[in-house]
Amino acid sequence: MSLDELVRRAQVWRADQAPLARGLTTGFPALDALLPAQGWPYPALIEVLTDCEGIGALSLWLPALAELSRAQWLIWVAPPHLPYVPALQRHGLDPARLLIVDALPAEEALPQRPRVRESIEANLWAFEQALRCVDCGASLTWCEALDSRALRRLQLACEAGVTLGVIFRPARFAAIASPAVLRLLLSPAVHATGLDIQIFKCRGSLRAQTCHLDLSAYS
Amino acid sequence: MYSELTRPRSSTPMPAALRALPAPAPLAAPHASRLWLALELPQFPLQVALRGDPSPRACVMAAGDGTRQQVLFANTPAIRLGIRPGLPLGAVHALGDVRMLPRDLLAEQRALEQLCLWAYQFSPLLSPVAGTGLVLEIQGSLKLFKGLDTLLQQMRRGLRDLGYRGYLAVAPNPAAATALARARQQGVVTINEALPSALNELPIDVLALSPAKAQDLYNIGVRTLGECTRLPREGLGRRFAPQFLRELDQLYGRQPDLRLYFELPKSFNSRLELPWEIKHTPALQVAMMRLLHELTAYLRVHAATTRQLHWRLHQADGTSKRQVLGLGTPSREFARLSLLTRERFHREILHAPVRAIELTVESIEPEPAPHEPDLFTRPATALPEDWPQFVARLRARLGPRALHRLASVSEHRPEHATHWREPLASPRATADCKSKLAKGLIRPLWLTRRPIPLRAPEGKPEWGGALTLSAERERIQSGWWAKESVTRDYFVATDARGQRWWIYKDLGGERGWYLHGIFE
Repeated sequence: MSLDELVRRAQVWRADQAPLARGLTTGFPALDALLPAQGWPYPALIEVLTDCEGIGALSLWLPALAELSRAQWLIWVAPPHLPYVPALQRHGLDPARLLIVDALPAEEALPQRPRVRESIEANLWAFEQALRCVDCGASLTWCEALDSRALRRLQLACEAGVTLGVIFRPARFAAIASPAVLRLLLSPAVHATGLDIQIFKCRGSLRAQTCHLDLSAYS
Repeated sequence: MYSELTRPRSSTPMPAALRALPAPAPLAAPHASRLWLALELPQFPLQVALRGDPSPRACVMAAGDGTRQQVLFANTPAIRLGIRPGLPLGAVHALGDVRMLPRDLLAEQRALEQLCLWAYQFSPLLSPVAGTGLVLEIQGSLKLFKGLDTLLQQMRRGLRDLGYRGYLAVAPNPAAATALARARQQGVVTINEALPSALNELPIDVLALSPAKAQDLYNIGVRTLGECTRLPREGLGRRFAPQFLRELDQLYGRQPDLRLYFELPKSFNSRLELPWEIKHTPALQVAMMRLLHELTAYLRVHAATTRQLHWRLHQADGTSKRQVLGLGTPSREFARLSLLTRERFHREILHAPVRAIELTVESIEPEPAPHEPDLFTRPATALPEDWPQFVARLRARLGPRALHRLASVSEHRPEHATHWREPLASPRATADCKSKLAKGLIRPLWLTRRPIPLRAPEGKPEWGGALTLSAERERIQSGWWAKESVTRDYFVATDARGQRWWIYKDLGGERGWYLHGIFE
């Protein structure tokens, strides 16, 4: 029988037709429309790949984090700089629910300072524990060295603890396969202010999609 | 007799409820009013020394001085080599690679105290016996422990956890129980009438007599306790001290045997001397687990919990290293204490070999009321702990300086507006998050840890390329009271790639350009 027959008889499953559980709203309607779950998949491990700072990679998460911080804890593991609390408060995040974990707080100001291997492993351990913790709603980490086996463990930890896990990595890891549920590539918009988001892996859709967000009005 | 008492004497009819009462069952045959359990630890000084690090090496403990040293105690690998108590030391070294352990009377006394403390959970009436064991009165505890077998099983398991090897025996009086345990018979005798048959076959060394007396009895042909009792009493009392007769009577239950009971100490402090120096922390785990078992027994006896453990590692060069382990919520469960201790010492590096470890608990608090169970079920694969315990576990593994929460302070200078504090157990609304930014002020999400000086050729700042400054500037001038007065003009700078930075020009001292924040 032909392919159309099979599809008609509902014996072939198509990825973009599968109904997905509704995700956590991102706060940006343009992005919500693009994501299969109409929001961030929850609970899941999400990779954000970007080479540039200062383009709004963290502001993208603030609406969802503000929503989660109402009832649950947020854990940030090894942030590259100091969070500025009044700005976080302005976006609706409750600083009393934020825990910063860093096994080796960097003494110098340069964000490219290489960290000691033990502290990297300790930070990864802390990230996994944060994902497994039920009281933690979301956990963010900025690290580079993760192989696919570690990522798979983190993905399972997300599901075990019902936590949103976000990993910020340099863009060169886009070419390497990863078991994360959603992978985004962020780059500064070429001709306008704002952010270009390219979704090159997500559950339930096969083609890469891009969208443009203007965050300057947001901060 | 009982049924007569329930029948009323008067002529008024009995109410229906009373009439329906059945007659009580006749009383069972009377058991001994007191039941004693003896715990005997053979070769106690050797067990105390080897508790911290059991290993298959042959070890002996010697007594005497100079060249006439003789073996007092030997462990199983040493006995397999052929070493027996009484062997001179020269012969010992000829038999193989044997480790010599010094005898530490203070450590033995402390260990016996700790053992009494552990045994206190089974009965409050206990008394140590001359440095080899202890006796407990357990008749009152049988109902709580639901029978003698369960009690003995729990004791055996607890002894194993503490690292001791011992023999248990039960009898109606403490001397008989000790004698049965010393003979390694582990018998249970519950009534006085059965005592003679149990005790008569035991050899007389269960009495722990002085060597002279034991030799005398041996010379007159007495080998067992039964033969001792068959000797004429007056002659026995004249030949040996009358105290010997009294001991025999106490053994068979004919005379009372009074013991001095052990009293609970007010605080917990236990020290374990390691048989040899340990250089790596994983090898300390066994010894630490033993001390934690003693601590949990102590806390269980007091029905209390604790918040902090004070560990002290005594090192070979005479110094000692102190570690305070905070528990988050007060707790006394062994699983939790051992997990936190393992995490804390997992990454510890020892600068000198460790000779002894000590555990102290300074303050205990009564047990809190148990939590009501959650109405909502938690996921089955989640960790069974709550938030303060999670934070305590992270802190134990990563160190106390690795965890922070943020508090905002009403302050114009941006680097002082965020304070790093100790994490709270619960996010109650504290006064340190109430200050809000005025409207219209632009602030970045990240601040660099220190302002980074920028190159500024011809007065135009650069950071990875030329920067375009925003038209609006913000002047912050503050801090004159703290000798850190700042006068800065802040700009939002955009570079060629579209990244946005928060930079300032320092108008006070060096008049340079600095990068202070990142608009993420």
